[in-house]
Amino acid sequence: MASQIVMDRTGDTRHMFDKQDRAEVAKAEQRFKELTGAGFTAAVRSGPGEQRIIRSFDPTAEETLFYPRLVGGRRR
Amino acid sequence: MSQQILLSVGSFGLALIGMLLLSALLLVVAWSGSFARARALSLLEEWLSPEQRACYERFRYFDVIGSDTGTRYRVHHGTQTNIEELSHSGQRVCKWCFVPEGNLVAADVMLAQKIALETNERGALSVAHRSFVSR
Repeated sequence: MASQIVMDRTGDTRHMFDKQDRAEVAKAEQRFKELTGAGFTAAVRSGPGEQRIIRSFDPTAEETLFYPRLVGGRRR
Repeated sequence: MSQQILLSVGSFGLALIGMLLLSALLLVVAWSGSFARARALSLLEEWLSPEQRACYERFRYFDVIGSDTGTRYRVHHGTQTNIEELSHSGQRVCKWCFVPEGNLVAADVMLAQKIALETNERGALSVAHRSFVSR
């Protein structure tokens, strides 16, 4: 099972899908588009401690992490 | 007289139920907060390199190398102004603050900061606030 992990206030929400199931893959791709369209960044792990950003849905990715848009924090 | 007693008992009962409900609510809030922290910490540790994980477990910070300039940054546990830019000699140059939107817990914030600095350093710093104030 592949997973899409979306950071949120609960820590994260995980959406699992079967990479062999076309309907589930299509749903995952739709979720990818909605999240990135809403400003989330999608990253996949490419090695221990290494990652790469993806701009389009990768149906082969085992795990895709989404984090919200970055903004400047509090000025000190 | 008996009405007054009944009224007093009723008020006391209502107050007791209110306190119990409030306690239960506080417990749920506390539990969900610690659940979120534990979940985020687990995710962070999965995505850190073995060196970063070891450093974080020992010192509550880890270092990352900026993808564009090769600059070293130290990401401390926290959610505000928790990134130090280090010089070649390891001295602090300044502090940076950028966070993902949404009031996330510290470990999630730190993971987003790590990924951003290691994959799109300039993009991350372009939205960040820079600070030269000492800790």
